[in-house]
Amino acid sequence: MSRFSRRTVLKGAAAVTSTLSMPGILRAQANTLKVGVILPLSGILSFPGIATRRGTELAIKMFADDGVKLDVVFADTESKPENGRTAAERLIRDGATVLVGAWDSGATISAAQAAEAAKVPLVVNVGSAAQITEQGFTQIFRNFPPSSEIVTKGVELFKNLPRNNGFNPKTAVVLHVNDTFGQVTGAAVKGAWEKAGVDIKILDTISYDARARDLSIEVSKAKATGADLVCPITRVNDAILIVREMIKQDYNPMGIYGPSSPGPYEKAFTDALGKYGDDYMTSVPFYDPTRAITKKVLERWSKEFSGQRFELNAGFGWESIQVVADAFKRAKATGAPELHAALKQTNIAEHPMFGGPITFDTKGQNVNIGIPLLQNQGGKPLVVAPDSIAEAKVKLPMTKWADRT
Amino acid sequence: MTVQTRQWTAALLFIAVLALLPLGIDEFQVSVLAHVFLAAVVGIAWNLMMGYAGQLSLGHALYFGVGAYVVAILTDRYGISTWIAMVPAALIPAALGFAVGALSFRFSVRGVYFALLTIAFAEMARILFEHWEFVGDTSGIFLKALRSDNNPLVTLRGDGLFFYYALLILMLLSWALSVLLVRSRIGYFWRAIREDEDASRAMGVKTFRYKLLAVAISAAITGVAGGWFALVNGSLFPESVLGMRVSIDLIVAPIVGGLGTLFGPILGALLIIPVNEFTRGLAQTFSINGLNLLFYGLLLMIVIKIAPHGCWPMVARWLGLSDSARRRKDEP
Repeated sequence: MSRFSRRTVLKGAAAVTSTLSMPGILRAQANTLKVGVILPLSGILSFPGIATRRGTELAIKMFADDGVKLDVVFADTESKPENGRTAAERLIRDGATVLVGAWDSGATISAAQAAEAAKVPLVVNVGSAAQITEQGFTQIFRNFPPSSEIVTKGVELFKNLPRNNGFNPKTAVVLHVNDTFGQVTGAAVKGAWEKAGVDIKILDTISYDARARDLSIEVSKAKATGADLVCPITRVNDAILIVREMIKQDYNPMGIYGPSSPGPYEKAFTDALGKYGDDYMTSVPFYDPTRAITKKVLERWSKEFSGQRFELNAGFGWESIQVVADAFKRAKATGAPELHAALKQTNIAEHPMFGGPITFDTKGQNVNIGIPLLQNQGGKPLVVAPDSIAEAKVKLPMTKWADRT
Repeated sequence: MTVQTRQWTAALLFIAVLALLPLGIDEFQVSVLAHVFLAAVVGIAWNLMMGYAGQLSLGHALYFGVGAYVVAILTDRYGISTWIAMVPAALIPAALGFAVGALSFRFSVRGVYFALLTIAFAEMARILFEHWEFVGDTSGIFLKALRSDNNPLVTLRGDGLFFYYALLILMLLSWALSVLLVRSRIGYFWRAIREDEDASRAMGVKTFRYKLLAVAISAAITGVAGGWFALVNGSLFPESVLGMRVSIDLIVAPIVGGLGTLFGPILGALLIIPVNEFTRGLAQTFSINGLNLLFYGLLLMIVIKIAPHGCWPMVARWLGLSDSARRRKDEP
């Protein structure tokens, strides 16, 4: 009953009226900035989309406490790239003078068409396709690294990990999901391997369908190579499938390292696998645990979203609002041109995600984002490299499945 | 006033309203209507093949996606004029349609088996594109941003208002072509095939030839629509233009509007897309993700319940645009 309170009905009536009466732009109050956030909140990408939304909402609350008034409206792309444009147009129509989005690269480019036409800045929260900042868009500001950079920086860190008696891999096998992300990352890994001069020979690259529900054949192929190191490029579900299959087939390589692989740091992964999820390594953009602002964000996060994990998606969702709030404070105006000018001058030193100050180059790319190396230990992802921000020592070789108690 | 006069008057009034509508609506609504026109074009194309020639295609994404890729690659990678790129965007899907049709009809593949074959070809194309580096494999293709000195009449890319009028013209041209075809000998042959293929062949209709013609014309129009989709959206992925979801999305409007009717696909698009956008707005207001999909499903169920042959035959009767003497489901 509480679902349909008088307030809810009035809210609905207002929405219906506003749509039917074909309104003009509803200008936000001068001291409140209307921000449109585009995310995949339903459909196959809803899991990371909702995680990004949580980080975004947390930032809105925290900046509201500091007196920054943001009126944020969320639009759902339903995980369909082509919906990015209409979502952006709807938000611009509703008065948003700055957009944030759109988590996946296709929807981001689609939204960018509308942002470019309306000259409304678009702050990219997550979206790693290199083309986003290479196509000549003037309104894009991306605070997320291109996929090739994530791989290159991660592989460089991995290469420099100390070797010991039990961990001295000479061979590796790459397993990757056969979708946009997997193909691009798989190719980037090979390039990064050569560029960094990694002395581990890649014996085979095995791809699998994104909708696969059984990876026993792929894992047995990987096992048959006898590789010392397994490099899975996965999302959450397939990462879980791979580990379960490795346990079943008692495949015990020296280590598992997923370059630029989202999933293993997710709560769903560590919850599903428990002790078997430990020792798994990945290198993705992640928070810097040593920074004061990170500690503050994590503390507030645990109050607002207890039971959820603050990770990559939530982190960049948080920072996207930080970027907008910072530009708003400096612009002292809510107009798109003023915000655009302020965004170009962005220089935020204190922010939660690992890396240098948030600044944007002439193409709108933040080139200062760092890539740490993570390893699951005790059921949660910990930064193990670089040493300057490490919160734990790397544990290699990984413990054999049968020896985990 | 005869029914035919009323029909022409209504058509001219409809066109006049659409031509003037941007003066009274905001940019977002202009953009939504541009999407309506694009959906209507594809609906008109599919309706020619299914509604008139009786050939069920559940793989029209093949033609849509290929048209989209042709335009994106030719214009963005090779710098070919978009106007010129629209020609292969029509011809290549037409040739593909011809090949699919020839293979099927030569071996008398009909009905649901033909539908399955169309799905198979579309899926094959999707998988091929996902592994074909030349078309960007699963990474897709991203069109470059428009330059500040962009001339929409040259690049065929612009703001929402440009796409509104461009796609309105495309829809009207497609509709005019479908009227001409349906009211010609070809149209009568198609309907004869739809009603009873064996009987029509016995009466001397070259069924193989006319079925192929239906597939090729339908594919060509769908390919051009795909090309426009690429220009509107700016990014293409095999899954987003060649996937099974696309094939299904493309046929909802003509089914809701009324199969085998000339105005049905347009009415269907006018109903489906604005309702979808409106409910999406409600979902956004209430922060209930997926609410619009529930409404969408509900709308489809209501339409199937109250207008199982589509909305247009019913609406045409209400408006007095249906000639009772000529009342057939294909001639409102």
